[in-house]
Amino acid sequence: MKKILSVMLVLCISSVLLFAGGTSEKAAVAEETAEIVPDKTVTGNIMIYTSIYEDIVTMMDDALAEKFPNCNIEFFQGGTGNIQTKVAGEMATGKLGCDMMLVAEPAYSLELDEEGFLHKYLSPNRTNLRFDYDKDGAWYPVRVCNMVLAYNPEMYKPSDLATSYKDFAADSALKGYISMGNPLTSGTTMAAAAALSEKYGFGYFDQLGKQQVMVESGSTALAKLETGECKELMILEESVLKKREEEGSSISVIYPDDGVILIPSTVMTVEGAKSANNNIASCEKVTDWLLSEEGQRFIVKGWMHSVLKGWNSGDKIPYDSISTDDLIKKDMGLDWVRCYKQRTEIREAFEKSVSLSK
Amino acid sequence: MRDSRVATGDKRSYFDIKWLFIIGIVAFLVVFEVFPMVYMFIKSFFPEKSFSLASYKKTYGYELNRISLRNTLVSAFGTMILGTLIAFPLAWLVGRTNLYCRKFFRGLCVMTYMVPPYVGAMAWSRLLNPNVGIVNVFIRRLFHLSMKTGPFDIYTIPGMIWVLTSFYYPYAFITISRAMEKMDPSLEEASRISGASSWTTLRTITLPMMTPSIIAGALLVFVSAASAYGIPSIIGANAKVKIPTVTTRIIDYVGLGVDGLSDAMSLAVFLMLLANLVLYISTFVVGKRKYITVSGKSTRPNTVDLGRFRVLFTVLMFVFAFIMIVLPFVTVGLTSVTKNLGKSVLEEGNFTTMHWSKIFTRKDVILSVKNSLLYAVISASFGIVVSVVMANLLERTTIKGRRIPDFLITVGSGTPSVVIALGLIMTMRGQFGLNLYNTLWIMIIAYLIKYLMMGMRTVVSAMSQIHVSLEECSRISGAGWFRTTMKITVPLIAPSIAAGWFLIFIPTFYELSMSTLLYSKDTQVIGYKLHYYWTYTSQQQASAIAFGILLFIVILNSILNKLTKGEFSI
Amino acid sequence: MSVITIDHVTKAFGSSVVLHDFTETFGEGEFITLLGPSGCGKTTMLRIIAGFEKPTKGRVLIDEKVVSSQTVFVPPEKRDIGMVFQSYAVWPHMTVRENVAYPLEIKKVDKGTARKKVDQVLATVHLSQYADRIPSQLSGGQQQRVALARALVAEPKLLLLDEPLSNLDAKLRESMRFEIKEIQNQLAVSVVYVTHDQTEAMAMSDRIVVINNGTVQQVGAPSAIYNDPANPFVADFVGKIDFLSGLAEEGRIKLDDSLQSIPYDGSLRCPVIVGIRPEWISYAETGNLKGTVKSHYYLGDVNDCRIDIGGGKELRVITNPFESGDVSKGKKVSLAIRKSLVYKKESFGSDFLTIKT
Repeated sequence: MKKILSVMLVLCISSVLLFAGGTSEKAAVAEETAEIVPDKTVTGNIMIYTSIYEDIVTMMDDALAEKFPNCNIEFFQGGTGNIQTKVAGEMATGKLGCDMMLVAEPAYSLELDEEGFLHKYLSPNRTNLRFDYDKDGAWYPVRVCNMVLAYNPEMYKPSDLATSYKDFAADSALKGYISMGNPLTSGTTMAAAAALSEKYGFGYFDQLGKQQVMVESGSTALAKLETGECKELMILEESVLKKREEEGSSISVIYPDDGVILIPSTVMTVEGAKSANNNIASCEKVTDWLLSEEGQRFIVKGWMHSVLKGWNSGDKIPYDSISTDDLIKKDMGLDWVRCYKQRTEIREAFEKSVSLSK
Repeated sequence: MRDSRVATGDKRSYFDIKWLFIIGIVAFLVVFEVFPMVYMFIKSFFPEKSFSLASYKKTYGYELNRISLRNTLVSAFGTMILGTLIAFPLAWLVGRTNLYCRKFFRGLCVMTYMVPPYVGAMAWSRLLNPNVGIVNVFIRRLFHLSMKTGPFDIYTIPGMIWVLTSFYYPYAFITISRAMEKMDPSLEEASRISGASSWTTLRTITLPMMTPSIIAGALLVFVSAASAYGIPSIIGANAKVKIPTVTTRIIDYVGLGVDGLSDAMSLAVFLMLLANLVLYISTFVVGKRKYITVSGKSTRPNTVDLGRFRVLFTVLMFVFAFIMIVLPFVTVGLTSVTKNLGKSVLEEGNFTTMHWSKIFTRKDVILSVKNSLLYAVISASFGIVVSVVMANLLERTTIKGRRIPDFLITVGSGTPSVVIALGLIMTMRGQFGLNLYNTLWIMIIAYLIKYLMMGMRTVVSAMSQIHVSLEECSRISGAGWFRTTMKITVPLIAPSIAAGWFLIFIPTFYELSMSTLLYSKDTQVIGYKLHYYWTYTSQQQASAIAFGILLFIVILNSILNKLTKGEFSI
Repeated sequence: MSVITIDHVTKAFGSSVVLHDFTETFGEGEFITLLGPSGCGKTTMLRIIAGFEKPTKGRVLIDEKVVSSQTVFVPPEKRDIGMVFQSYAVWPHMTVRENVAYPLEIKKVDKGTARKKVDQVLATVHLSQYADRIPSQLSGGQQQRVALARALVAEPKLLLLDEPLSNLDAKLRESMRFEIKEIQNQLAVSVVYVTHDQTEAMAMSDRIVVINNGTVQQVGAPSAIYNDPANPFVADFVGKIDFLSGLAEEGRIKLDDSLQSIPYDGSLRCPVIVGIRPEWISYAETGNLKGTVKSHYYLGDVNDCRIDIGGGKELRVITNPFESGDVSKGKKVSLAIRKSLVYKKESFGSDFLTIKT
């Protein structure tokens, strides 16, 4: 009996030690931070909730450590849905567990602002922004996610597929072969649902339902594109670009004719008293950095478009993408207030059409 | 057979340390299980400070929710039937006959218990998705079928039942196996000598006597299937007609934030009541011990000679094992080393170890493995102590109400993970004095509530086979309760303790749903990481993590097996 | 009534041999007891006859037909045997009547005939009024009788009993012994009975097979086993006995240790082991041995004394109180040895008394 216990103990300890050494990805960051000028005046603790990809967060984390060596900045990374749940629970107690948030879309920012959770700050960098921001400085767009269509050229030809969102839902050849995210758990998909229902009415959802669209995460959908289980996806451009760069995948983007759905994801600072560390001064500095050229470099590295004016080509746009100018020209546009106010209706309409239709 | 319980009615002048443990356990259960559930139950009726059925009306008025209710009941029922139909013959073949390679199959049969269910769902969706499922494509090629989809579609209710069954039938298998072992073999021999063949004996003697255990096992499967989240979330979301279940609806609602909480609670209450009801039936009504007696001397179960069917059944078992275990596991393994999922892994350049090297060098993955190990070890160790105390309480005392903690522990295991986590979130954030939010303790507590049962049942079962006189002898010699337990009881049931520890360790190690709701930056666990990678990063990397978990558990299992010289078996 | 032939049966479980070359024939209507200490192999032999175990070597025949051999195996359900198990094995989910009727149901006997037979056999075991009860409502002895009834209802030619009375209290055991014997006579069945209780064996058997460590020590009628045991083990296992070592000479055996002698008319001239049963000794004016009463127990019907005969040796003497007269502690007595058993010492080694398993 003792033998059993002691061996188990040894097993546990040794496996823990075995994994104890892990390499971080400092190498990749080294070049990026070569030009960073440290600001030693920023101190204290900052907790940031974000739904940005883990790898990018790691890079930003390291860069921020270099930029603000005296400030302890921590990221809590999770899916939009998870973060929103977490925050919802925390809101009920009146105090959040974070100081800043890099999550979701403007509608969520509007919601939090209304609830009185956001700190207002007018960043000097706001004049460089080419997208809308809150006039009082409650939130700024920090990165641009865009919802597009994707396909696998090794399996299907683009001429056989939909080149617009309209066709995506209408082309019966695609029935049972399309996929998209879940508006309930993905903020960006929620935004897309809002945009499409704004443009085409709730009937669009019915069509999606008739198409027997599969509802799942981007990663699962991309795998299905690879295997051919799906012919076409509604997905964020950054997911596709990431796969292309990291895996050399040939999966490609179709920028829909009836418009790309641009989702300027925001950065928010939590109202001091309701935040975790009440470190407003430092948060403001971080906000500035995120909206600066230094910070935006990481956004672009993370396969997302920058929010800064003039960033249109070369290393100012994500790998393999089109210029931000062109992107903006294709923007379908959506009403963020409607997205926020009618969230429940949109969600229920989507659920009803996609889940219940036969 | 003498009743192996000791009367504890007399007053003592010594303080029996046993009481400390018992009170501690009951307190733990009341504070962390009963209280949150009761709180949620009440809150759902008082959404705005006054009694109202409004939230129930709203929730159940919504058609999608009613459909999810129906789906849950149908799939759970189907799983229960299929699972029991599989478990009973399996338990009989492996435990009572001279099937070849019995030990091997026994270990194999519980293997799916050791694997995160959502991994299985992942594997099966790759194998049987109607469009390009590997098995479907193979069948189409084999029979030169011209169809573009099918013949099998995993994204249906039968498909879901299939995957649910493959993961939850071990609950019935383990329950029935144990009972079979305890059954007096001479009852079957008497039937044989009376002229009945093995088959007739099975029908007229074995089956009726095993009925209470079979029902108990079946109900356990029912509750587990109804509480499942991982599998329905993967299968149901891809169906042509979506298959929402109560658990996926709860998660959807929770994901909405404050708005959805009341709906989530209304649904959670339904599941809670269902689980409680079913488990009540199982524990009190069906749990009669009368039928299962262990004869004093020979507990050696006699084996039925399968005669000319021996080879046939062995072959069938291999086929079964192949379908149930080899196929999904290998799929996961192969996915983890495939570059482009559209091409076969055997194709040139498509085999890669990059996914594996990626996950093994990532800080967050390593941290989550460390966390998982730590939490699982703590949970299992703490849990086994509780199990030993509970076994003592149930098998050696006649205290009134001793079944109550047993019932609570059983209910805990039948409650959907989401509901447990939800309840803890709502009550353990400091509103009532205790703030465990964002700590590892809230997660360990959740794991314990959910997974204590299987460990406890194992230890209780072992304890019931030790005659009380062995302990009485120690007491007479002067040893107190604690000493007796440590020096006599524990060594005697050591293999079962190891098994019970393992039964708590495994699901805790790879747990997903609760960890997703309760985690904080520093308390991420591997199950959450797996789900995250699978959802947001890459199927292949997720498969690497999944396969890594699998390998780890299999290796641990075989080590434990060797250590206890084969006595250790779940 | 069946004739059972056991032909060179050996049984091993893995590397451990539990039965060595067992060869014996049990005749029609015989009551055979397999007697021996726990673990000696007697139950295994019974189970081989029943068909629950297969012999590793050798064969078993019932009525000249091979039922177990290296090539043939007739399963238990086809052997037409009745068996009573140590744990009774009465099915808890059936009534007494259903339990007993079971064998007839299997044989597809028609309901009317079956009912009659069940009633008959229930009457034989005196359980008629409990026919519709369930086993949990019955006492141990009653359950045992249900088991007996069930074993007999199909009128088997052979009845096997595996320590059926060991779970009953002493008084019940005695009466059941009698009942079983009565039933055997009534129904004319052959019986193979397994027990470790030598009193049972003596009381019920036509012949006893004494087994130790898987080997048959002796087969014979109770009187032969008792009065003429083949070796010290059998002598010790059945009945009470004291052993002394000595040297056999013409006309007498010189006892070691006590340095006394007892008469001997056999032909051995070597070191021997002498076995003397307590009832073979009586008190005499001039006996063969002299000694002092060391301890004395008056049991009402007998005087049970231990006599110190010198050299550290004692002999136990059990006599009728009338015969022994007044025997108190310390009294000097003279013992007459009416009978003794003599064995060559070298055949059994110096630890002959530890032959027990």
